[in-house]
Amino acid sequence: MPMGHTATAEAGSGGLTATEHRLANGLRVVLSEDHLTPVAAVCLWYDVGSRHEVEGRTGLAHLFEHLMFQGSKQVHGNGHFELVQGAGGSLNGTTSFERTNYFETMPTHQLELALWLEADRMGSLLAALDDESMENQRDVVKNERRQRYDNVPYGTAFEKLTALAYPEGHPYHHTPIGSMADLDAATLEDARNFFRTYYAPNNAVLSVVGDIDPAQTLAWIEKYFGSIPQHDGKRPPRDGSLPEVIGEQLREVVEEEVPARALMAAYRLPHDGTRECDAADLALTVLGGGESSRLHNRLVRRDRTAVAAGFGLLRLAGAPSLGWLDVKTSGGVEVPQIEAAVDEELARFAAEGPTPEEMERAQAQLEREWLDRLGTVAGRADELCRFAVLFGDPQLALTAVDRVLAVTAEEVQAVAAAKLRPDNRAVLVYEPVAADESDSDEEEGADQ
Amino acid sequence: MTDAAASLTSMDFHPQPAPGVARPWAFPAPDRGKLDNGLTLLTSHRPGQQVVAVEIFVPAPLDAEPAGLDGVATIMARALSEGTDQRSAEEFAAELERCGATLDAHADHPGVRVSLEVPVSRLPKALGLLSEALIAPAFLDTEIERLVRNRLDEIPHETANPSRRAAKQLSKELFPAESRMSRPRQGTEETVAAIDAAAVRAFYEAYVRPGTATAVVVGDLTGVDLDKVLADTLGAWTGEPAEPLPMPPITADDTGRVVIVDRPGAVQTQLLIGRIGADRHDRVWPAQVLGTYCLGGTLTSRLDKVLREEKGYTYGVRAFGQVLRSDAEGNGASMLAISGSVDTPNTGPALGDLWQVLRTLAAEGLTDAERETAVQNLVGVAPLKYETAASVAGTLADQVEQHLPDDFQAQLYARLAETGTVEATAAVVSAFPVDRLVTVLVGDAAQIADPVRELGIGEVTVVTG
Repeated sequence: MPMGHTATAEAGSGGLTATEHRLANGLRVVLSEDHLTPVAAVCLWYDVGSRHEVEGRTGLAHLFEHLMFQGSKQVHGNGHFELVQGAGGSLNGTTSFERTNYFETMPTHQLELALWLEADRMGSLLAALDDESMENQRDVVKNERRQRYDNVPYGTAFEKLTALAYPEGHPYHHTPIGSMADLDAATLEDARNFFRTYYAPNNAVLSVVGDIDPAQTLAWIEKYFGSIPQHDGKRPPRDGSLPEVIGEQLREVVEEEVPARALMAAYRLPHDGTRECDAADLALTVLGGGESSRLHNRLVRRDRTAVAAGFGLLRLAGAPSLGWLDVKTSGGVEVPQIEAAVDEELARFAAEGPTPEEMERAQAQLEREWLDRLGTVAGRADELCRFAVLFGDPQLALTAVDRVLAVTAEEVQAVAAAKLRPDNRAVLVYEPVAADESDSDEEEGADQ
Repeated sequence: MTDAAASLTSMDFHPQPAPGVARPWAFPAPDRGKLDNGLTLLTSHRPGQQVVAVEIFVPAPLDAEPAGLDGVATIMARALSEGTDQRSAEEFAAELERCGATLDAHADHPGVRVSLEVPVSRLPKALGLLSEALIAPAFLDTEIERLVRNRLDEIPHETANPSRRAAKQLSKELFPAESRMSRPRQGTEETVAAIDAAAVRAFYEAYVRPGTATAVVVGDLTGVDLDKVLADTLGAWTGEPAEPLPMPPITADDTGRVVIVDRPGAVQTQLLIGRIGADRHDRVWPAQVLGTYCLGGTLTSRLDKVLREEKGYTYGVRAFGQVLRSDAEGNGASMLAISGSVDTPNTGPALGDLWQVLRTLAAEGLTDAERETAVQNLVGVAPLKYETAASVAGTLADQVEQHLPDDFQAQLYARLAETGTVEATAAVVSAFPVDRLVTVLVGDAAQIADPVRELGIGEVTVVTG
């Protein structure tokens, strides 16, 4: 295993550097030193997410992520949590469309423990995985779904928008939480196969960031991960390509017991990793980020028709990204009035582009968000993994802010004109109904 | 299984590694000073933290709100950044965001907190804007009307949210009706509707003064002439000193009982079980922190070990203590609570198990191993928890707000390490006595009321709304 040389800091990286290494079994490793605080972050991205799931097994990647905390050959029961927390560390795992990540932030002197734990489950999870864990975590995940989505107002809005914006059969048509029916249907054998297929060293990137000795860290990684066999059983995700724009306005009206009318919409936007995606991020920030945005000024301050109005961006690399509009109406205001104002603002923005002041504000906001993300060892470790897994180059994480700052007003206008159009969106309208009127079809069959 | 066995045989297993030598870390000791106008100043230089955090604490407590105007402190806090003598609301927001800054203001029982975060390169500009907001807010009629309406629009959203609804009900149950703590911090439909610009200005003039306020500035301050920047900004704030308001005593009725907020058709029951107890001035605090962590600090604590990891009734249940308000004399209190949500059909069994966990804890106590793990975690995570400027600034401002010495957090870590198993057991058992807990359940009364009655954990009443 060749030792990577220490890279020199690139302009705009804030003095941060990262080195890259690869074990013989294909595990990619990224290290970044920072001795300001005696902590070290370990982050492991597996290149598998809900987009790899097959019909009838939605939610399996996320359910499986829970099973990764149920013990492995040398780690019993909840030992993963117990050992990390008992060492003064914090930990978790998350599952998204495109990846599953696991992370531990440790006091420096406990770094080796985190590496040992991650290696043990990467190499030997199936030695401990059993029916009891499977049944228990199935119930936990169903309660997670209820708590975060089913039992809160508008809780399933994102799921509905995603299902509209990505057609039936598309790998991003369903969200990582999955359906209750599919969670019920998942078997222990499904989980075992999932592990055998995707949890391989050559399908992962490990980053370690913070108060580390790179040579020692790399030696530990070689010791614990080096003998885990690689395998190539991975099936690529189904094709996520779609036409650049939806081509028509899709629409769904939801009658539910919610506190106010709402207008939400998903716009199909350029893929993450492109300059156009950064331009779209700036466009959405000018239009709907923060309290000086065009939509906030128009709907909340001037028209006073909305209690809140904003845009969010879900960056995706394997399918078009998604721009998410969310407006909650004020008092008895009707949705068409909001929609007309939104259309007017988007059309004007597409025609005129951002003002120089708006560009400055949007870039300053995104710059601060990047400083926040790279300001902690855990945030930096996660971003290094992200750029390594999705774009093949972790160094891109350290210069991401430069790319946002290099985008021009013309590019922002161009992406808005091309994408923020009525024929490129899926609209979700909420109309409140009283408790006994709500259509409960979707809940039935879910809660069995 | 064959594949698994194959991979097991080819991987080399090593014993669990032993830890290395810990590098010392201490919660930062801030520099304390005062500006000429009486503003107290705490600063802490944190190398590498390019986003600077500024916290302003103004002792404008909720119980100072005039009768019938609950929520005026909240509206005032929000109105600070909605226009000044130099800029309209839109212009102010635009200038702030041009700095890449965020500014949040909120009112709670002890007073108003204003939090600024900004990249250090734009700190002087952002501090100028923050000062403008504190010194010369416009409080225009039209902006206050808008904020009042916006706040009224928010209330139904909070009522619809199970955890917000539960918190509101628990406060109503615990505190006497005449106590400000019994009522929503941000006011009700009736009181918010009564707020106008004159009421906001009167509240501002009575309580927002530099002589009683504190500013906390934390971040990488290399190359920043902070004295000069502060003199040019917050140093320009003037106002007569105000007499500190005495804190009214905090009392609560924790007679064991259950209140169900009816949500027909709810797929889960939100539970919030609480009472009041010691604040940070009390000697028992470190033991209470330790014991509460063992009860419900994480998914390997006693509650989740049963309710989540054994039974699968929940995504997670947590026990916590949250300071409500403190004074220098030690008359303060915190809210001690257990919260989480459980699926509707298992609500009765989950509460039964929860009570059994509490009974077992009282009967058998904590183990030394539990106590050891808790200390290792609570003390060990400190360097991670305080990596960012915002987290350090928040804790320093909490200490000021709660009349604690600047080295409280640093000392707390030493005290936690000295706290034994017996003390931690005694503290958590007296914090969560099985017969003195008020239980609020937001869920489907038709399905959960009878099973809950059968548990015998107190009288069960059902309310709507």
